[in-house]
Amino acid sequence: MTEAVTEERLAVKVDEEQCSRCSICRSLCPYDAISKEAGTGKTLLDIAKCQVCGICYSACPSRAIDIIYYDLDSLLSYLESAKKKSASQALVIMCKGSAPDFAEVGRLFGVSDFIPLSVPCVGRVPDEVFLTAMGMGINKIYVLACDEDYCRFVRGSPLAGRRIFALNRMLEQLGYGKEAITLRRNSLKVKVNKDLCIACGNCVYYCPYHAPKLESEGGISIDLDLCRGCGLCVVMCPAFALELEHWERERLSALVPQLLSEMKPPKLVVFRCQWAFFPPLDGKLNPNIRAIDVPCAARVDPIHILDAFQQGADGVLVAACAEEDCKQEKAGGRAQRLVEKLNERLSQIGYQDRLYFCSIAPRHGDGFDKELQEFSQKIKGMAKGGKK
Amino acid sequence: MIVTELKPLDEIFDSIFPYRRILIAGCDGCTQPPRGMREAETLKQLLELAGRKKGKEFEFKVTSVVKQCDSVLTTSALKPHIEGIEAVLSLACGIGPQMVAELFPELVVLPAQNTHFMGEEDREGGIMETRCIGCGDCILTLMGGICPHTRCSKSLLNGACGGARNGKCELSQERDCAWELIFTRLEKLGKLDNIREYRPPRDYQVKAWRLKP
Repeated sequence: MTEAVTEERLAVKVDEEQCSRCSICRSLCPYDAISKEAGTGKTLLDIAKCQVCGICYSACPSRAIDIIYYDLDSLLSYLESAKKKSASQALVIMCKGSAPDFAEVGRLFGVSDFIPLSVPCVGRVPDEVFLTAMGMGINKIYVLACDEDYCRFVRGSPLAGRRIFALNRMLEQLGYGKEAITLRRNSLKVKVNKDLCIACGNCVYYCPYHAPKLESEGGISIDLDLCRGCGLCVVMCPAFALELEHWERERLSALVPQLLSEMKPPKLVVFRCQWAFFPPLDGKLNPNIRAIDVPCAARVDPIHILDAFQQGADGVLVAACAEEDCKQEKAGGRAQRLVEKLNERLSQIGYQDRLYFCSIAPRHGDGFDKELQEFSQKIKGMAKGGKK
Repeated sequence: MIVTELKPLDEIFDSIFPYRRILIAGCDGCTQPPRGMREAETLKQLLELAGRKKGKEFEFKVTSVVKQCDSVLTTSALKPHIEGIEAVLSLACGIGPQMVAELFPELVVLPAQNTHFMGEEDREGGIMETRCIGCGDCILTLMGGICPHTRCSKSLLNGACGGARNGKCELSQERDCAWELIFTRLEKLGKLDNIREYRPPRDYQVKAWRLKP
């Protein structure tokens, strides 16, 4: 935050020296972000098109592609320092997309004390991380991956399954027991409280995946196979009849005051789409800033923004993916409109210039820091101006 | 649906200012979105924030009624909450506050919404458009399903006025000329004769004020 950003930190890099110019990455990239330079045959990456899915990273036989979020050195140094601090011999590696908070993850696996490692996609975590962890004295690794159909990172989740199968076979031969690594799949889903439902049909209209249906006897039913857990229906439900599992309104409402009580003024609260930014593993906490990573910008709820102001937040920033990067359906645009509408109301009661929106993308490792800097200057400027 | 919009918050604030214990009553009924628990809870939060700025503390209770225009439902939904309450802030259309006033004569009732019209929603843009004024004499059969009372800026019953350009009303470039829409539609249906007949101006006097349908 304090350092001036001098050079853009790109999330994906191709090492020309190592690249064998085999073109496998180019043939696999679903976003047309990789091309071959005419004449030289060099692999070129168009970062603007890249969605950081990592399929190129998984497939590269020469290990010429690096993604900062799976950088082996930082993953291992995180493990080392976490191991020093914790006596636990269990490691949980989880996909950001399918994981609830750490306490809930622990409950899913039935472990209370563990070292958490949250990554964008477990299918991209290098084998060395698993093996080094075992070498460090960890005797059990739990992996929480998204259901295969719900993988947002191009074949990452199926790959995780195959890799863990192979690793387990190998670890068994090395004498680490039959199932050293346990894989579990999970996807965020919405749940209905039929007693509260007023059968207004809002969820039916707003769901981009056509999961809810109005029933003839009143109320709704949800086809959970279609639900992708974005949480838009939850925010659009006028009766609080819908909840996103593990991301319940009450749970978030309780988190807000807890975070604000830890902070020093000026207090800046960020509601951030988990797909828009992947926080560094060893990130230090700034006493002025707390971020709440929600499953999708669609789950950013005006109720929680107002909770933050009520608990003494000086500013709130909503950070979402740009529409073209959205891993759900155009949730970023909806979040932006929600912020605009709420701002209209907030300015009527003297809380103008306190709530901001920005869109960011994980292809730029420092995109969020830049937005945060700008936002905190605005709020700090306002705080000074107000004291005159 | 009935189309309402939240009153300016300073107006609501001024109206509740003399009171301390206030019940915010949502209505799950006909508006879009329904002004139910979520709207009631959000309004509570906004008014508390406003109160903090102005040094006024409120004690809010929040509830919602299935339909505030229904006396039975409203009585049973509000009764458990009104002990100690000085004022009810209603999130319903214009009917709700009147129903609450009738049922609970000892309470002050304040509306939080301005009620505009009955209309249709373009949810993508979140825009509501007027479709019906409840004239009591529906002529949609003759007009090919397009209401000139609401959709013609001048509410002409014998159009078109001649002011439209490129299908848009001369009073607002965003608004379609209702009479062009009616003409095109009737032409397509082969029923242009429908508008040959002169229609007398709407008679406001015979409008029913009480009905037993």
